[in-house]
Amino acid sequence: MLWAALVSFIIVTVTFVLLSFAPNPSIQEAATQAALQGGDPAAAAERERELRGLNEPLHIRYMDFLQSVYTLDWGWSQYRSQPVTEAVYEGLYYTAQYSVPWTILTLVLGPLVGLYSAANMYSWKDHAATGFAFFGYAIPNFFFAIILLLVFAVWLEWIPVVYNANAAVFSLENVRQLILPVFVLVTGSIGGIMRVSRNESAEFQNSEFMKTARAKGVSPIRAYLYHVLRPTMVPLSTTIVGQLLALFLGSSLLVEIVFGIPGLGRITYEALVAQDTNLVLGTTLFFTFIAVVGNLLEDIVFTVLDPRISYDDR
Amino acid sequence: MTPDTDPLLEVANLRTTFDTDGGELVAVDGIDFSIDAGETVCIVGESGSGKTVATESITRLVKSPPATVTGSVRFDGEDLLEASEERLREIRGYNIAHIFQNPQEAMNHCYSVGWQITEALTIHTDASQEEARAKAIDLLDRVGIANASSRFDDYPHEFSGGQKQRVMIAMALVGDPDLLIADEPTTALDVTVQGQILKLLDDLQEEFDMGILFVTHDLGVVAQIADRIVVMYAGKVMERGDVYDVFDRPAHPYTQQLLECLPGTSDSIGGIPGSLPSPTDPPDGCRFAPRCEHAVADCEAGGQPREVEVRPGQAVSCVYYQSGYDASVVEADTGDAETSRGVGDD
Amino acid sequence: MATENQDRFDRVDWDEIAASRGRDLSVNTLGMLAFAVPLALLGLYDWRLVDEREATFGAIGYDIDITSLEYLFVFTLLLFAFYLVLPLYQNPRRTKHYWTEFKRNRPAVVSLVWLAIVFVGGLIGPLLMNAPQQDILISHQPPVYLSVDQANVANCVGEIANGRCHGTWEYPLGTTNGGRDVLTGIVYGMTTTMQIAFIATTIVAVVGISVGTVSAYAGGWVDEVLMRITDVVLSFPTFLMFLLILYIYGAGIGMFILVFSGFAWGGTARYVRSKALSISEEEYIKACRISGANTYGVVRRHVVPNTASSIITQLTLLIPGFLLFEAQLAFLGIGDTEVPTWGQLISAGRSDLAFAPWIVLAPGIVLFLTILAFNFLGDALLDALNPEAQAETDQ
Repeated sequence: MLWAALVSFIIVTVTFVLLSFAPNPSIQEAATQAALQGGDPAAAAERERELRGLNEPLHIRYMDFLQSVYTLDWGWSQYRSQPVTEAVYEGLYYTAQYSVPWTILTLVLGPLVGLYSAANMYSWKDHAATGFAFFGYAIPNFFFAIILLLVFAVWLEWIPVVYNANAAVFSLENVRQLILPVFVLVTGSIGGIMRVSRNESAEFQNSEFMKTARAKGVSPIRAYLYHVLRPTMVPLSTTIVGQLLALFLGSSLLVEIVFGIPGLGRITYEALVAQDTNLVLGTTLFFTFIAVVGNLLEDIVFTVLDPRISYDDR
Repeated sequence: MTPDTDPLLEVANLRTTFDTDGGELVAVDGIDFSIDAGETVCIVGESGSGKTVATESITRLVKSPPATVTGSVRFDGEDLLEASEERLREIRGYNIAHIFQNPQEAMNHCYSVGWQITEALTIHTDASQEEARAKAIDLLDRVGIANASSRFDDYPHEFSGGQKQRVMIAMALVGDPDLLIADEPTTALDVTVQGQILKLLDDLQEEFDMGILFVTHDLGVVAQIADRIVVMYAGKVMERGDVYDVFDRPAHPYTQQLLECLPGTSDSIGGIPGSLPSPTDPPDGCRFAPRCEHAVADCEAGGQPREVEVRPGQAVSCVYYQSGYDASVVEADTGDAETSRGVGDD
Repeated sequence: MATENQDRFDRVDWDEIAASRGRDLSVNTLGMLAFAVPLALLGLYDWRLVDEREATFGAIGYDIDITSLEYLFVFTLLLFAFYLVLPLYQNPRRTKHYWTEFKRNRPAVVSLVWLAIVFVGGLIGPLLMNAPQQDILISHQPPVYLSVDQANVANCVGEIANGRCHGTWEYPLGTTNGGRDVLTGIVYGMTTTMQIAFIATTIVAVVGISVGTVSAYAGGWVDEVLMRITDVVLSFPTFLMFLLILYIYGAGIGMFILVFSGFAWGGTARYVRSKALSISEEEYIKACRISGANTYGVVRRHVVPNTASSIITQLTLLIPGFLLFEAQLAFLGIGDTEVPTWGQLISAGRSDLAFAPWIVLAPGIVLFLTILAFNFLGDALLDALNPEAQAETDQ
């Protein structure tokens, strides 16, 4: 817990350092504006600096920055003409709609398919699953998304090309338009989890305690679910969160852009293009906190899953 | 031993083979043995002689494929090799229980020992959680775990090696089995702990009136626990008999050499020269012939020699005991060795 | 297995250790120095004496400019040649053993061939081909053997039959909407790909091994601090931080490599540390120490060789991540526009996807295959170099 707080603090500090050593685009903009309108660019820049409190000493600006970050006072988004927190919230609404099914599917399917693969090791089923896993994490998500969109939306016309932001969350239309993004992300995230799950399960299914379980008369299904899957979840828990986060932070941005989903990723991208500093900061900080919370969750889950690690040791 | 009642377990012509890249591997090659209720039978032999595979073939614990088990295993009048997988699962852990060599690895590190002990009850009976818990705590207490009720919820890593094996025994006994198969249960333990575990098994055997099939390569352990022993080598039975008979008058050269390896019994410290024959391509004749100091040409021809009874209950598979050979050549020079009565009889 | 084991480099080669006592420079180091010193001098000359806008070899009449990235690339190539390829050549028996192990994995052999193509293509391709030129007149040419509706092509280079424009060998993979040759673009993209792969892995390896060993041998608070830093690095959202850096400062491919490799060494460092700690407990290391080996010697002779197989595997599996991130940035149009990459091509073809899919497909498939190849290769290396994993799979 303390660790997560510390990491988030470090990241916020790095962000501040990056910001304070950079030429602020809004000052330049103000100067350019002034020059264009025949005013004094230097004076305009100065006015802008004062307005933004940039003449304060560094440590006071740092404290202000910290305060506003942690009190969720993330400023005003010029590009969207709304508070940054509101923009993030709106984006989250759309991001969650595909992230939740994607995460659930990955969490359920990944370990199970890996287990199935291990149980049928070196059979054609295992090879098929392994091939799928490799395909999934080798194909760039955005590329896969483009291809699928081309095939299913443009050529076959099974699904809409344009995302309808007004579709109700639990409607057939929403399901249809979210199938592809969810599919793309699941193929991307499931591969690594399947591989780890397969390799770890393979180790446990040949373990001595598996033999003990069979000697007790445990049925194969119970043996796999209780005696193989359960211990597999321990090392797997360290992979799952990492895999999901990496994808969430990186690929979901591209998937949103390809499919035109107005979620957080797209907002980040548009803010980048529109040079909306507050919004860029807001969304990156939000993603960062997700990452920190994710890592914290991973630690907790790992500790809960493995009885050999006690809380006291940490 | 009461010969007029059926034995608890009767294994006949048990043969276990594995399909490997290097051809068919014969781990157990047609062995017979039986165990009566309340009796302890030891299977003795060096590592790789097929003891473990033999015991795991009884309830078909060996993975098949790649293993193929043939022959017959009659338990309480039922042939286990004919039984369905479902029926076998009912028997495993309830009628026939197993203890394995390495208690460190034989327990699942993710579950409390209590959960693992009661698992067999959950599967085989409809005992309530409270009943199962009470029974497990009682058993933990019986196998000598102090504060059993508080240790019920502890995890395997919180127990020492000897304690783990005690827990494993409790786990095996929870279904009140008629037969306990213990596969080198003391090998991984300290010598002092070994003694305690053997004593515990002995006590529990009387209490539960179970047959024990005990596998070991350690003749010292055999002396402590066995009623009868079966000496195995390279998948075949070399000799069998009452533990005192076999220890006092080992008939087979292999048994004799095994006994010589025991510390304090002779000045031979080199062990038995040579190594086990290839299980994919076993030699003709007696399996032990290539390493036997008495081997003659006939030893390396045909199949494993027929078993010949040298005295009541003691039988040996060696060419020298067949008719027309002089058994005195191989008989142990333990002094008062009586002449073999096996020659000529069938 | 026991006889094969002698071929493994995990085994201690006592002769070699005895020879290294005198601190004689090995052939590898000499070779490395022989090439690296002139390179460094050239770099220095380029940096101090040549005007920024002037080509490096402008003074002697060649119009070839070397960028700092290329210096680094050549340097890492030298490192790989002298410390990875040359040792394999010096130990033919060991190499042969690895090769027989490796050969059993057919996908990995195919992957290696593919990566060799990409490597050679990236190395000499740009020397043979001119950089892709913009030429609106020849936009949207279809790949050879394929045809496209004439209406979509302003000026068909190949023959027109039944109202369809056919591709020609002049542009085997077609052209983009700007008339750039897709094949040339892909070959130039190979160079960038290889630069990212080699430079980033070298940085990760150097930083990871250094931090890991220092942490293990210094112990105490140094260990504590370094491992905490490693924890931060491991849980750092690199992609976002890079976006932020990109947004605030703007960043080229060099910055990209620096940032991503700068936050990717965590796993390596942790692994090396744990391995170094366990190795220093081994009896033979104690024997080495008693016989007077210093820490540096122990690290170089024992820790690095013992961890090499795992590190190489880890690194191989890291590369796809770098390539993917680069492609994503290029696709977003916020990557380095100075260097030609596959991601850019994919991005360039997106708008014309419906009628000119080759612009996206060709580089996309090449990228996919390359990432796939690195993954297969990493998997195979894991099997070939790790005797434990091998034993497990044999069971």
